[in-house]
Amino acid sequence: MALRPVVVTGLGIICAAGRDPAEFWTRLTTARGGLTPIEDEAFAVFTARYAGQVPDAWIDDQLPAEEAAGDRTARLALVAANQAIEQAGRPGRAGAVRAAPAPDRFGVILGKCQATPGPGGSYQPMHHTADVVAERLGLGGPRILVSTACAAGGNAVGLARDKILTGEADAVLAGGVDPLLFGTYAGFAGLQALSTGPCRPYSHSDGLNLGEGAAFLLLEPLDLALARGATPLAEVAGYGLSADAYHATAPDPTGRGGAGAVRRALAEAGLTPDDVHYVSGHGTGTPANDTMEAKVMRLVFGDRASRVPTSSIKSFVGHTLGAAGAVEAVASVLALRHGVVPPTIGFDDDGDGARADLDYVPNRAREMTVDTVVSNNYAFGGNNVSLVLTRPRDPAPYGPAPRREAVISGLGPVTCAGTGIAETAAAITAGRRADGRAPSLEGRTFAPRSLWRHMNRLSRLAIAASRLAWEDADLKLPRKALDDVALVFATGAGSAESTGGFDDSIALNPNKPAVLSFSNVVLNATGGAVCQTLGLRGPTTTLCNGAASASIALDCALEMIDAGKAEVVLVVAADETAARQALASFELLDASGAAGDAGPSGDGGPVPYGERPAPPAGPEAASGTGAGPGAGAGAASGIGPVAGSAAVAFVVESAEHCAGRGGRPYARVAGTRHAAGRGAEPVARSLALPGAAPALVVGAATGLPRDGEEAAAVLARVPDALLTASAALIGDCQAATGAMNIALAALAVRDGLAPALAGLGTPLAGGRDSYVTAPELDGPVESALALTAAHDSVRGAVLLEAV
Amino acid sequence: MANVLATRHPEGTVYGDVGDTTVPLRFSSLSQEYRVLRERAAVLDLDGHGLVEITGPGAVDLAQRLLARDVEYLTSDRCMMSLVLDGSGRVVDQVIAFGREDGLLLESSCGAGARLLDHVLAHAEDGVEVVDRSAELTVIGLEGPYAWGVVGRLIDGELASLPFESVVDTDWNGVDMIFARTGYTGEYGYQMIVPREAAAELWAGALEHAEPAGQEALELAMLEVRQPIPRHEVTPGASVIEIGANWLVDITKADFVGRDAVVEAFESGGGRRTVGFTGGDGVPAPGTRVLAGGQDVGEVVHAVHSAGLGATLGLARVDPELAAAGLDLTVDGLGVTTLTSPYIVPKSWSIPII
Repeated sequence: MALRPVVVTGLGIICAAGRDPAEFWTRLTTARGGLTPIEDEAFAVFTARYAGQVPDAWIDDQLPAEEAAGDRTARLALVAANQAIEQAGRPGRAGAVRAAPAPDRFGVILGKCQATPGPGGSYQPMHHTADVVAERLGLGGPRILVSTACAAGGNAVGLARDKILTGEADAVLAGGVDPLLFGTYAGFAGLQALSTGPCRPYSHSDGLNLGEGAAFLLLEPLDLALARGATPLAEVAGYGLSADAYHATAPDPTGRGGAGAVRRALAEAGLTPDDVHYVSGHGTGTPANDTMEAKVMRLVFGDRASRVPTSSIKSFVGHTLGAAGAVEAVASVLALRHGVVPPTIGFDDDGDGARADLDYVPNRAREMTVDTVVSNNYAFGGNNVSLVLTRPRDPAPYGPAPRREAVISGLGPVTCAGTGIAETAAAITAGRRADGRAPSLEGRTFAPRSLWRHMNRLSRLAIAASRLAWEDADLKLPRKALDDVALVFATGAGSAESTGGFDDSIALNPNKPAVLSFSNVVLNATGGAVCQTLGLRGPTTTLCNGAASASIALDCALEMIDAGKAEVVLVVAADETAARQALASFELLDASGAAGDAGPSGDGGPVPYGERPAPPAGPEAASGTGAGPGAGAGAASGIGPVAGSAAVAFVVESAEHCAGRGGRPYARVAGTRHAAGRGAEPVARSLALPGAAPALVVGAATGLPRDGEEAAAVLARVPDALLTASAALIGDCQAATGAMNIALAALAVRDGLAPALAGLGTPLAGGRDSYVTAPELDGPVESALALTAAHDSVRGAVLLEAV
Repeated sequence: MANVLATRHPEGTVYGDVGDTTVPLRFSSLSQEYRVLRERAAVLDLDGHGLVEITGPGAVDLAQRLLARDVEYLTSDRCMMSLVLDGSGRVVDQVIAFGREDGLLLESSCGAGARLLDHVLAHAEDGVEVVDRSAELTVIGLEGPYAWGVVGRLIDGELASLPFESVVDTDWNGVDMIFARTGYTGEYGYQMIVPREAAAELWAGALEHAEPAGQEALELAMLEVRQPIPRHEVTPGASVIEIGANWLVDITKADFVGRDAVVEAFESGGGRRTVGFTGGDGVPAPGTRVLAGGQDVGEVVHAVHSAGLGATLGLARVDPELAAAGLDLTVDGLGVTTLTSPYIVPKSWSIPII
């Protein structure tokens, strides 16, 4: 039976070609582009000066005065988000539209390519902009930051559809945002990828222009949208993701990666290439992209390729990176609404363009029948996404989204506690504690040396973890099957080494950027490197919700398995401490990033859920952050979080596939839950999972005073459970620690092993007998709960049960 | 073994013995075949290349031990070129290793299949099966700036733009084919490994879109881009470094047969080095002395008349400090000038695949 149709009911956009959807559409259909020379003198160092810039007044005029102090990224996003919500009706408010979606059933999924600076200039967490949008608009539902570089905006729209189909949300605001950043501009200039004039995709193809902007689409199920009187503008009929597994920045020249995404999207939509009326191309204007896209068109449409119009609105707005897919999705919805396709402007009819054998809709918009649009985006890291948008259909009976049992069948931890599950288990048994040391990859290269020697640390960690998880699962798949193995990458901040190295090079000379580092600055670069090394070409995405990324990634993996998009999904989480730390040293850091006062003594290490010692009297006292109230010398047991670097991978597999090959799963995934919001309140909500009470909880504590909130909520909900946290063993490694919680919960279910909270004195909540104080449990536990936390943003819970 | 395509070659084809085999040296004239290869697309009869298959649980370990480059993660959609060395670091052969689902397939250089097979068998242990596939399979190549167009017309346009050293298992007219993007001459290059019984049909099909080129044209074009030709360049006693094939060895690998000798040669820095030269008159024979300022500094390794340069092109093995471009040396009493490679710029470098 057909799935529940998901429709777009609101649009919002701000970009160089318009401050709202109406102006944007007028300019697209009258061929008035928005690419102009950058006035900012700082950019005078570059030969290429054109970009798609948003005038400040367009932002200021659309936001209340109290938003003036916000950072540009958030302000762009708020403008577009507000527009989309206004069109569809605000959550929880009575107004022109009846019964708008309840706030806790209303989510936000944001695509973003760049790490962006806050007002102070330092990088914000990747998910910050999504948090701002959610808080301002009162959205308490699913909250995801997707960062598949230049494909992120389209990816966000697809993920939003998934969240509605799973029933987790009644409405999702999906979109993308990116501002114009000097460093990114320097990076593209260094790659020789910028056109010196306004870009001319598909004809001159001499480079791209960067742009900035934000765009959102409000997605709802058709039935609910109609019930509350909203107007369906278009249906999100399907989407497809794929990995090139080819190169960090260059697209696979065969076009098979891009074609794979289109084919998957059409299959999900139940359509064929013959149904497609218009293709919104990625059309950056670089030779590599434009050549590859022509191949995608020929591969997908065959003899019909020349009769399927395809255009690039980047010729109007430039390349808005993480926003691009959403900007183009907005244009595609408008094309469906109006029966007009926007042109490729700047198209050279007489020169190179005259030889084109495809219909690029040169220079003039075209009225035509448009019932089905495919919108394509391609990104660094070899990530491809295609959306299929159609004119909304009439309501029809639909069935529930299919659910399939999934298991965790392989673990690949690469942490300071060990490389691989055997070493990790030994470290747990030996009672090892996190020491902040870098994981050891000595003695084995996990990728062909020709690739390995050029890789940054994070990619090496992630590839090692992936390969070890693969081997632990004993997966032996032929080459052809790897084309459908999916990869979900989870990271808080990506490669600190490459980001730092690139920023340093720009500070030194913006005309000599470290281009190799630049290609690894995008958050999905590491995921792309894993795909390339392991040859995985299935659906792939990258999620960046801080330390909660891994459980959100698991959700995404389960959705892929449920929908039949993959039988095997590799979830990989990796993060590293900032490059300034000597990774092989014993330097211990506290939460503020300053060197802590605890040395590498034999009994050192973080004590999650334990009270910290009172700061010593004297001048240093001020540097001690967050000693818990009532911490006395006798009760002192913790030293605060220990920041570390790690990658943790696990194989998620349909139970059917695992059984079919005789795999030996650790546990089945009985349920997952996420709760967004600030403070302690979301903890209890995230714990509200159906099913039997778990005997073990592997929590998200890292050694912070606020660990007590979590412990109290856990003990209130499952008073008989034992509590521990992987941070005791591996430290605070952001997304990787979240993944380790899931991995160790799986290990406890199958093998009855869990890390002890060595050194636990007085816990912040409950008594010591509520905590794991010896590594050997009484035996395998029937079920275990793993928690993840991006504090004040989103918390996750994953319930695993014995198979 | 008889050349599988011998009956299909045009009348007047000139054959010659190369190593353990007999191959077509030229089908018509060297200059014509060279022009086809450099300007359009040539079909190559590579039946003189042996094929040795290694399978079984220990296949990758054996290959990793025998090949001088890293093949641990060579998946079934990749191939790579590598040297195979003996224990004293001497070159046994230069192979293309194809990753396979259950092991590897090694393609020898021309006429070296038997030597390669003996070497692999001598090192094989339990858990490995080594099979000479040369009796069942043959190799046909396509090489030239428009070879991609031939692939498109002959098989599938999608295969033409495969990345370098990619491999696809496909079929052609119902026949299983291992298709690879390779390249010996700096031009677009492809290889098709097919059952011998299908060779004639594939050869005929390819000839509908391209012309054949023999071993002489191929080796000339290889030399012009400094692609090593083992049968000419591997002289007795010469080390990998003297031959100039360092790029076909990876000493960061923990262990492989011949590694110690290569590392020693790297570290000692001794021996001679190979450099290209042009000039003189006629084609000097291998072993001809090379002089600098009247001093004997080395010898000619291999030389030909380069159609691309319109002059003599050779390789000389000389004292290390003279292995640099732009030096004047003397060969056979005549002045020659050393060159930097490649000695000609392949047309393919400026022609995109569309």
